[in-house]
Amino acid sequence: MTVETVRASAQSTPRGRKAPRRQPDEAGMRGRWWRFLLILVITVVVLVPIVAIFFLSLQPSLGSTSTSAFTFENFTNVFTQTGVLTWLNNSLVVTVVTVIVSVVVAAPAGYVLSRGRNRLVSGFSLVLFIVQSLPVVTAVIPLFILFAQLGLVDNLTGVMIIYVGSTMSVAIWMMAAYYDSIPIALEEAAWIDGASVFGGFTRVVLRNSLPGILSTAVFAFLLAWNDYLVALVFLRSDVNYTFPVGLETFFQQNATDWGPVSACAVIMMLPPILLFSVLNKYFSVGGIGGSLAGR
Amino acid sequence: MSTSSIADQVGRAKRGVGVSGSGRSAGPRKNRRLRAKGWTYIIFTAPALVLLLLINLYPVIYAAYQSLRNGTLIQGGDFVGFTNYIDTLVSGNLSPAFWQAALFTLIFTLVGVFGSWVIGLVLALLLRTRIPGGGVFKVLLLLPWIVPVVVSAFSWNWLVATPQSPFPMLAQSLGLGNVLFLANPTLAKVTVCVFKVWISFPFMMMMMSSALASVDNNVYEAAKVDGAGSWQAFTQITLPLISRSTYISWILMTIFCVNDFPTIFLLTGGGPVGSTTSLVVLAYRTVFENFQVGPGVAIAFMTTIVLIVVSVILYRQIRKASVE
Repeated sequence: MTVETVRASAQSTPRGRKAPRRQPDEAGMRGRWWRFLLILVITVVVLVPIVAIFFLSLQPSLGSTSTSAFTFENFTNVFTQTGVLTWLNNSLVVTVVTVIVSVVVAAPAGYVLSRGRNRLVSGFSLVLFIVQSLPVVTAVIPLFILFAQLGLVDNLTGVMIIYVGSTMSVAIWMMAAYYDSIPIALEEAAWIDGASVFGGFTRVVLRNSLPGILSTAVFAFLLAWNDYLVALVFLRSDVNYTFPVGLETFFQQNATDWGPVSACAVIMMLPPILLFSVLNKYFSVGGIGGSLAGR
Repeated sequence: MSTSSIADQVGRAKRGVGVSGSGRSAGPRKNRRLRAKGWTYIIFTAPALVLLLLINLYPVIYAAYQSLRNGTLIQGGDFVGFTNYIDTLVSGNLSPAFWQAALFTLIFTLVGVFGSWVIGLVLALLLRTRIPGGGVFKVLLLLPWIVPVVVSAFSWNWLVATPQSPFPMLAQSLGLGNVLFLANPTLAKVTVCVFKVWISFPFMMMMMSSALASVDNNVYEAAKVDGAGSWQAFTQITLPLISRSTYISWILMTIFCVNDFPTIFLLTGGGPVGSTTSLVVLAYRTVFENFQVGPGVAIAFMTTIVLIVVSVILYRQIRKASVE
């Protein structure tokens, strides 16, 4: 086998799954353009509600003196006239803490789920699955009573604790799914060299798990940034509002004036969209399936 | 495998230590390592377990306790037996609302699961073939799932809620008259379900894409040689090969739909006249708006139990299927 063929086969392995490598004929080309057109139409239809917000945010507000069709004054106004900076700050703090704590707690737990093969680990897997199916509403009511006694209602720390707890099962599955792709031989080699189980985990497994960690981080980010219910129940005063509650309150007060509310909505959806467009190649939910059924 | 290593394996299993090791050599060093491994594993899982117990399992147990009492958000109240359950299920004034909500939850879940699955699968199949700009479409089509529900509910409100909104205007110009999407009970149900499918199909697309990625293309070549049409190839080859992922995605989406609060609450608030109130929304309203903690928790708890039973049965089915 020459170097060329080795390289060619190495390249075609991941790609060959998508489509057979062969010169497309006339009909194949036409089919490809039909599919392109179909998916283009679907994408445009799907994106209407999202694109609409961008357009609305550029419309002059009802009280505005501006005569032009498009204006950025909503964006400058909401920063001075609403609590958007407070919401942004609260949401960022809550989200960043949730992401870090979730990854730090889920990374070792996922390792056990990935490498352990006994009844206890299977039980752990079942616990995760049951926990995943519990409605947040059921959890929120008793937690509200508990947190009221602990002084964690209307408190960002309380909300963070709940977010970290809610990310746990999926975060552990995601980490485990990624570890599954790392050959155990790597750790065994480290053990033979005298590394402890912990050392093997941090120095060998974790070092090779950046995509898995990023995937879990994106998931935790989306959960904490987008959550509405927990924030609605637990955050009572406007200085503690995270973005979803702040935006919804602002919308209820200005239901007919779409411009400023849309400007806030745009500000709110930019962080997840930007994060996702950078990290989307690392993000995968597909592994969850294998992680769920394989144990 | 030698007898001693089998004994070693059994011993490890009895001690509850991972048996993932290759079992090459049995010796005191290996044993010490395995014991250390057991402890490391316990330490590794402890923080996660504490969180899971505190944030997820404790509330359910407390909810069971609370559902048997007539307490408030601050006080525990007195023990009232199964009164709350009887009130919601059989005779009380909450019972019609409960059954209406149960029916809507069922519709919402069925439409949410299968609607998003069909669309997600079609898109995954389309994106699997080579299309110009396929990568860009893949990211753009995930947006409904990434954008916060608060934002998308706001946008859908603008699109459909008032008579001046684009969709009612469009309906008017098509001669359909004054269509009030969120004021008519039936239309509100349809709108909420469509909204849910719009939010959920990207998740299904991701699940199905990764399932399809593991299907070997040579299978299709072979089928083509045998004279199978593309529909036949799809139903006879593709669907069976991705069945496990399909079941898992159905289970997860069922859980997501039954537990979904913000999608419904933010778009319609459960109305008009309770037509789009799901069990979860009803539980929230009963507790936090009508302050009937006992009955509200009872509703939430019953939803939880039904969901857990259904999920565990399905989970076992998957595991059985994946062992075979």
